[in-house]
Amino acid sequence: MSTAVQGAAAAEGVDVAKSGRPGSIRRVVFGEPQALIGLAIVAAFILVALLSPLFLSQDPKTKVGPIFEHPSVSHPLGLDGGGADMVRLLIAGTRVSLLVGFAAAFVSALIGGTVGLASGYFGGKTDIVLMRITDYVIVIPDIPLMIVAAALFGRSLTNIILIIGVIYWTSTARLIRAQVKSVRERVYVKRARALGAGNTRLIFKHVLPQVMPLLIANTVLLVALAIFAETFISFLGLGDPSVISWGRLIENSFTDDAILNNAWWTIVPPGVCVTLLVLGSTMFGQSLEDALNPRLRVGHLSVRRFRMRPLKGKLESE
Amino acid sequence: MSALLEVEGLNVWFDLAGGGELHAVRGVDVQVDAGERFGLVGESGCGKTTAMLTIMGLLPPNASVAGEVRLAGENILARGEESVSPHRWNDVAMVFQGAMNAFNPVKTVGSQIEEPLRLHGIAEGRAARRQVAELLERVGIPSDRAARYPHEFSGGMRQRAAIAMAIACGPKILLADEPTTALDVMVQAQILELLLSLAEDFELALVLVTHDLPVVAQVCDRAAVMYAGEVAEAGSIDALFHTPRHPYTRMLFAATPDLHAGGERVVSIPGAPPRLDRPLVGCPFHPRCDSRFEPCPTVTPLLKVVGEGHVAACHLNDHVREGALV
Amino acid sequence: MRGFDYVGKRILFALLTVFVAITLNFVLFRTLSGDAVSALRCRQCTQAFKDYQREQLGLDKSKWEQYKLYLGDLAHGDMGKSLRSEGAVTHELWAPIKNTVPMVALGTLFSIVFGVLAGVVSAWRRGTWADKTTLWTGLSFYSMPPQWLGLIVVLFVASALGLPTAGIKDPTLGILGDASTWDVFVDRMRHMVLPSLTLGLVLYGEYAIIVRSSMLETLGEDYVLTARAKGLSNWATVWKHGLRNALLPIITLVALSLGFIIGGSITIEYVFSYPGIGLAIVEAIDQRDYPILQGAFLLLTFSVILANLVADLLYFKLDPRVST
Repeated sequence: MSTAVQGAAAAEGVDVAKSGRPGSIRRVVFGEPQALIGLAIVAAFILVALLSPLFLSQDPKTKVGPIFEHPSVSHPLGLDGGGADMVRLLIAGTRVSLLVGFAAAFVSALIGGTVGLASGYFGGKTDIVLMRITDYVIVIPDIPLMIVAAALFGRSLTNIILIIGVIYWTSTARLIRAQVKSVRERVYVKRARALGAGNTRLIFKHVLPQVMPLLIANTVLLVALAIFAETFISFLGLGDPSVISWGRLIENSFTDDAILNNAWWTIVPPGVCVTLLVLGSTMFGQSLEDALNPRLRVGHLSVRRFRMRPLKGKLESE
Repeated sequence: MSALLEVEGLNVWFDLAGGGELHAVRGVDVQVDAGERFGLVGESGCGKTTAMLTIMGLLPPNASVAGEVRLAGENILARGEESVSPHRWNDVAMVFQGAMNAFNPVKTVGSQIEEPLRLHGIAEGRAARRQVAELLERVGIPSDRAARYPHEFSGGMRQRAAIAMAIACGPKILLADEPTTALDVMVQAQILELLLSLAEDFELALVLVTHDLPVVAQVCDRAAVMYAGEVAEAGSIDALFHTPRHPYTRMLFAATPDLHAGGERVVSIPGAPPRLDRPLVGCPFHPRCDSRFEPCPTVTPLLKVVGEGHVAACHLNDHVREGALV
Repeated sequence: MRGFDYVGKRILFALLTVFVAITLNFVLFRTLSGDAVSALRCRQCTQAFKDYQREQLGLDKSKWEQYKLYLGDLAHGDMGKSLRSEGAVTHELWAPIKNTVPMVALGTLFSIVFGVLAGVVSAWRRGTWADKTTLWTGLSFYSMPPQWLGLIVVLFVASALGLPTAGIKDPTLGILGDASTWDVFVDRMRHMVLPSLTLGLVLYGEYAIIVRSSMLETLGEDYVLTARAKGLSNWATVWKHGLRNALLPIITLVALSLGFIIGGSITIEYVFSYPGIGLAIVEAIDQRDYPILQGAFLLLTFSVILANLVADLLYFKLDPRVST
């Protein structure tokens, strides 16, 4: 999944350039419907994850009825191929998917942010070397690499998080690098330097705060990517067998021959959850990123034309 | 005698995302005679560019227009896009602000100059290419450059090429929006000279839109000063410079130390123009005016004749009785 | 010639990346994952047998030696032998590749055609319902895990259309007399449609959105305004000035999304039991057949690198601004 797509998609709606100041962010978040919807979706899922212990008094995998039982009042989403309640499984999955999403995004942001920061700030040889490495990493196809790494390095959740994190840092690095470069030119950084401030101080006190908002916005997008990536890994049976994730639920339905049993309730819901969460974070993350990195777009062409109004006498003197 | 171009009561609104409208052009009246050199002056955001674009009907879909634009007596805005588009390029042509980007980067300059020739049925194939070569030579570009791409031209040369493209179909009016901004001083002078010589040779009326006063003074015979979407004052360059009848004009022109220095920018007047997304009360300039008095904040001044071919919208002229002058 | 420098640089970069990929492959499989032999699933393997295997596979030598051997073998087109079938990896992977390529090509074609159409119309009619629909459906499809989409297709679409959902050929074909080439062809196509369609749906979203975005940006350019000013109709402006510029990024996009295409097709093939390289990878993982896995990964990486190179060169040819 490319962040370019995420970018283009949710950028719609930001018609007028907005400055990157915090006030404008609030305006974007609470002004644009899609940013709000995205935030709401993500928040809803987070809420479910946090409240999950309330729903999961017992292991969600326990069999509570016949396998592939149809949805009913007591089990709104029916039972899966092992007789376990789908709703409970989904709730359990929310936790894991969010965990993987955020953790992996964090790892990616950390690596990408550091690389971007170093590259943009120090420039010169550091920049060239780091960007070269980035170039190489980008070309290597992400999903096959992820699958291979997962196949080789085993099945623990931690490993999966690390693998995803290590593969997806490149676009963050480039983004942050560009931002750091522009921040670096700003006067006060030069002034601070003239006053003898050392590099570390400059980076942490001056550059980083300026770059942080964009990094955070980008991280939200990374969360979507990570959750998406996890479903790949789980589907091929490479996930951590001891945890339930949405990806795993989809895999289960496949290996349990849910299709043969026409048990759509085991197939559809987990995918819907993934889609919703990915959509939500994309919408929210992209609106954020746009607020901080605005682009003005005027369309000169459209099927619709400018309108003529009748002249009402001597136009009312305003 | 009717002017070649007459703009009457021009109003342009833009629908804003989120409701409301921006009233960008608020009742503008302008006349330009054949072969005349007319300047449209004002700060950025005063509506001069929008007014010019409206003359050619080049507005985005969220725009709405009221008023008339008469070309040799015919109102070309009568039916909106339908009535204005036939006049594009062969009657009225434009050189855009930042003509650097007027060219499509993936096509040769020559092919893009050829395009309107073909489109308007003036010439095709080899004949067209010959005309393109002539046009390029006329603006001072070696004709073999026609096969080059825009990025291979310098800024000044691209501007010349844009001018060549503009006169390709023999328009009667050439609108030039900030033709010299972003060019260095030497090149500016050359471009202006080029425009003048072309206007003479081809009997073009030239409408120069700019915020750069020395340019207007050099090139134009008459000018209109726009502020907040309206015409504040209009008249001969001489009158505007020596006997301005609107404080804005006076402050603008006075802020330019030496007209012949060339390339100097207008010193900005403190304060900012009013927002155009809400109705204006009184004179739009009054908050920044050094001569405001009692009627200014509440009563809108109307454009009044204050001398021969000289109009101004300012309460300072209220005592002038129009009948006595015209 | 202007081109030489640039072309040379890109080819060099591609070669270097290939080298990096090979090394990465080696590091992943030989160095970090422990001994392939020890992972062999054979209960009756005695220690002596394992030692012998090690010697055969050259695993008893130093890492550096192994690396050189590996490079040497690769240069000869030898990617080792499958642990499961003892056949040469290159041979084992050949048939799956032949199956995957048309399927992926078809799917990508679907998505490009529909994506471009949708994107152009969307940008053209910006803000209208057509636009919003394209955006939302595109984004939604793109947010769906491909395997899940595959399952949905199987669940709801396949039977409605009467299309097969597994494998690549009808086992009954050819039993009652020889099947003609046409029959075989139709049969293959029928099996290919659903996986391609799924792939196409997932990708369509990406392309539609990017085309739309590129188109919008192009439509906001000064030269578009100029074209309109010159008297070109809306349609002519889009066709002559808008499209070519707007579609330029598509080339790079296809190359860039190749990684995703491949990844998606792996899971899609699994869902549809389509015997392509994706399924081969899954089976290899399952059976711990590391040489196959290694070979497949290398091949996939090569093709992505190649695609990127082709995209670079194409872009260079089409956009005169690209220079050394």
